[in-house]
Amino acid sequence: MARSLAGFLVFSLFVSICGAASLFQPISDSHRSAALELFTPDHGSFKSLEETYEALRTFEVLGIEKKPDVTASACRSISETLGSPSSTPKDLFYALKANSIAKCRINEKTSEGIITKLNAAVGGANSLLDFYYSVGGLVLIKDQTSRADVHLADTEGVFRSVKAFSQSDGRWRYSSNNPESSAFAAGIALETLAGIISLASSEIDQSLINTLKNDISKLFDSIEKYDDGSLYFDDKLVDGREYQGPLSTTSSVVRGLTAFAAVTAGSLNLPGDKILGLAKFFLGIEAPGDAKDFFNQIDSLACLENNRVSIPLILSLPSSVLSLTKKDSLKVRVNTVLGSNAPPLTVKLVGAYSSGSKDTSLVETQDLKFEAGTGVHILNNLPKTIDVGSYTFVFEIVLHESEHEKIYVTGSQTKVPIFVTGLIKIENAEIVLDNDLGNVEAQKKLDLAGQNAVSLSANHLQKLRLSFQLTTPRGHAFKPHQALLKLRHESKIEHIFVVGNPGKKFEIVLDFLQLVDKFFYLSGRYDIELAVGDAVMENSLLQAIGHVELDLPEPPEKAPRPPAQPVDPYSRYGPKAEIEHIFRAPDKRPPKELSLAFLGLTILPLLGFLVGLLRLGVNLKNFPTKAAPALFGILFHVGIGAVLLLYVFFWLKLDLFQTLKLLGFLGVFLVFVGHRILSHLAGTSSKLKSA
Amino acid sequence: MGKFWVIFVALISILLPFLCNSFSPETPTDRRVLVLLDDFAIKSSHSLYFNSLKSRGFDLDFKLADDPNIALQRYGQYLYDALILFCPSVERFGGSVDLAGILSFVDSGHDLIIAADANASDVIREVATECGVDFDEDHSAMVIDHTSYAVSETEGDHTLIAGDDFIKSDVILGSKKINAPVLFKGIGHSLNPANSLVLKVLSASPAAYSANPKSKLSTPPSLTGSAISLVSVVQARNNARVLITGSISMFSNRFFRSGVQKAGSPTKHEKSGNEQFSTEISKWVFHERGHLKAVNVKHHKVGETEEPALYRINDDLEYSVEIYEWSGTSWEPYVAGDVQVQFYMMSPYVLKTLSNNKKGLYSTSFKVPDVYGVFQFKVEYQKLGYTSLSLSKQIPVRPYRHNEYERFIPAAYPYYGAAFSMMAGFFIFSFVHLYSK
Repeated sequence: MARSLAGFLVFSLFVSICGAASLFQPISDSHRSAALELFTPDHGSFKSLEETYEALRTFEVLGIEKKPDVTASACRSISETLGSPSSTPKDLFYALKANSIAKCRINEKTSEGIITKLNAAVGGANSLLDFYYSVGGLVLIKDQTSRADVHLADTEGVFRSVKAFSQSDGRWRYSSNNPESSAFAAGIALETLAGIISLASSEIDQSLINTLKNDISKLFDSIEKYDDGSLYFDDKLVDGREYQGPLSTTSSVVRGLTAFAAVTAGSLNLPGDKILGLAKFFLGIEAPGDAKDFFNQIDSLACLENNRVSIPLILSLPSSVLSLTKKDSLKVRVNTVLGSNAPPLTVKLVGAYSSGSKDTSLVETQDLKFEAGTGVHILNNLPKTIDVGSYTFVFEIVLHESEHEKIYVTGSQTKVPIFVTGLIKIENAEIVLDNDLGNVEAQKKLDLAGQNAVSLSANHLQKLRLSFQLTTPRGHAFKPHQALLKLRHESKIEHIFVVGNPGKKFEIVLDFLQLVDKFFYLSGRYDIELAVGDAVMENSLLQAIGHVELDLPEPPEKAPRPPAQPVDPYSRYGPKAEIEHIFRAPDKRPPKELSLAFLGLTILPLLGFLVGLLRLGVNLKNFPTKAAPALFGILFHVGIGAVLLLYVFFWLKLDLFQTLKLLGFLGVFLVFVGHRILSHLAGTSSKLKSA
Repeated sequence: MGKFWVIFVALISILLPFLCNSFSPETPTDRRVLVLLDDFAIKSSHSLYFNSLKSRGFDLDFKLADDPNIALQRYGQYLYDALILFCPSVERFGGSVDLAGILSFVDSGHDLIIAADANASDVIREVATECGVDFDEDHSAMVIDHTSYAVSETEGDHTLIAGDDFIKSDVILGSKKINAPVLFKGIGHSLNPANSLVLKVLSASPAAYSANPKSKLSTPPSLTGSAISLVSVVQARNNARVLITGSISMFSNRFFRSGVQKAGSPTKHEKSGNEQFSTEISKWVFHERGHLKAVNVKHHKVGETEEPALYRINDDLEYSVEIYEWSGTSWEPYVAGDVQVQFYMMSPYVLKTLSNNKKGLYSTSFKVPDVYGVFQFKVEYQKLGYTSLSLSKQIPVRPYRHNEYERFIPAAYPYYGAAFSMMAGFFIFSFVHLYSK
């Protein structure tokens, strides 16, 4: 159930893409180009003979002229397969199928061998697919070699053993030990049985055929249905291994059904609507993107195109959007599923319902005129009662010749959604500013088709009123789906109002006093935009009317904050401004000359000191005259000089530790020599005093 | 025997990342993609899109969304690099997949494509909400545009939109301009203004609105104008990329092949922009474009090549980094003029744009500020559509040592002179004082 539901959803998706709930287009050129895209041979040949057959068959059905030339390589692999002793019936079957289109020559001896081989395979078959391939192969070789002597030995026996796989609900099993029944297998079985009947040397028992017909109608009881009237077969997904999907399953049933109908006399008693429903299913899926699905679709449609049960005719519209202003005429085309011409017939418009009210038809029944040149049925002027809007038109197809009614199926009535569009007249558009007493303060006419630049200013006590009138081409009032007034503040906060139509006129009154809260008390410039649009309005518009400068009161404490606005993505990224580090400025220093001048000044006291000493008349008369004290005196002064020199070196290069180390040695030396010389001097001076 | 088994398992677990051709930081393009579908018919109806992915080397694994056997991870390892949710109507995922599972899948750096549709299920909406976009809450609403719809013979309700308001980013949409409008039919969404990671790739026109086309509009639509996003992308902080669109049919074969004519425009394009748009954006989402890596971050003093352990204030240094962009098959040099480096301690002291040599090498030189402390070289590179680069390297900066200051300052000569003249005076005075009579 979930599966069919999901399938339905997908299907409804396709349908909604088609745009019309029950509008099906026959196969067209888009299918042809899709086919050429899907079936592209790899280096001049397809991967397998099955694929070759599918491609050739699709090209044949679609009548594609410029198909890739694969006949030579196909014939080579066909004759290889047919000639090979190890080929299984399945290989032979697809080789013969491909050959039915490629039409390569098979020599007499090979075909003789194949017939014996397939006949033996029929005898030894014990599953449905075995029968399918071997019987199918025999049918194909019979057609291709036009030999009358190809027939099954024990037709009825084979028939019965295939029939043994059938189930009471019309579905079939693949083999006797597989309890699962499927509609896919039913299609295969029908095709096999049709083959058996055509290979029969004698008449098959009519009662057997009748029970089979019964099975078919039972199978059709289990058909599933979409909302839009298309019908399909689907198998329940049990283990997923043999599950084929609705398209393959339906396609298999259609192939089996048409093959069976082709070989049996008498009618199958299937309602034509079911065949039409199947045709709609195949047309509704558009062009599948999978080669296998595509082949299934095209092949099934080809089977439906020339079947003996009933040939579906599809009513389609080149355009379901009609313009009243351009006076478009209603055109209807009736084709077979593959797009070829239908027999003589008349298309009648039996009703037109507005999408709003479904009960009363707006038009009387009338015939559409057939144009033989283009093959289109035309209604030139839409009835006066049809105004712009969306409608459902109901068509009926009446075949001219009564015997065609047995061959073709048209469906009782076809409902088609139609959009009738037109230019809508916009009149009496104006924008009015009222004050709180109801007096008009400013009034401006608007031309909604052209440019407007209204500039208003208002405060919270005033009201802004915008009104306009819409008229359809037929002169009725028109209500569009979209009638929105947008006020956009400088800060990009938007406020949207629906313009209602209480009467004939569209009008909206913005009472700013009521709206201050909604406007977040944001004063400033508001741009006004009006959007009027509808699916059937050809001149839908989005107009900037101008702006209004609003002066709103200050927000109270608990006023709501305006919501955050999204940041522009382009400004969010991007390089930042470069940053240079500002370094600390170096200290201010005097010029070098000034320093040198002051250096000179600092020397002056020393010079003054020296000059002073000379003026005082200093002498060295007290210097010891004896050798030992004189030596200590000299050493003492050399020591002092060394300490001072050490200071100079400390300034120039030495560090504190080196200096202290040297100073330590010098200090000890100085203390020793200093003590000697100073005690000597003290001794001489005390001697002097005592003397 | 047990020991061998342990070694075998260990070996396999080490080799596994190399054995399976999958996502790694060295080759960031996704490889294994799980596609969850509502129905296998989508596989055929959207085959052009899937084929374009397959032809680019992706390994697509198609599963029904309610398949009971699907799983994103097994034994803590993710089985896929990316997830495509083409299942707008799924009510509940099958297997072990659920909302939290999908979010942690993205949180661990994997990519996601979500395509919703009209009547999208709640679980799909929730996934989108977690990614920062909100689909219109009205389940029957569609994006309607009466001024920039796609002209169609059969399509009358203006829900088939020709969108051409693309994001201006070559990295997201490719360098080739998308000329034809993109067909869109589905639901719109809005971006969460607080989320700075989500970007609008395709916006609706200013006249668009989101409403139910079949019923009358009585209240203002919740989404209008170009605030409606038709297609959005998210690049998470861990560089996981997410694509969100409200239309699954924009990826369909039908839209890929269909011609397009925007209402009011005389040009009729033979082919819609959908194929180019979806292909290009999937290249971005699956990291075939816009994925950057930075290697060989180097810094040293001017004139040296060795990287020092620390810098002294006022040193001149050179900084260089190599940046490459993944092209889907190889790392190509990344060329841009806006990569910047910061010399950072609590706030950037220096911010400089790096110059590049067009081969991926970005370099600059500057002087270390005269502030000491522990600094960082920081490259915080964020650009629209590119993965962000965030590099930082710590480096201490020391002040001058005592002997690194200037030794003989001319301004101090008077002081020196005074001291030395004093010393000379003392020396002379010592003679005078001791020996003068």
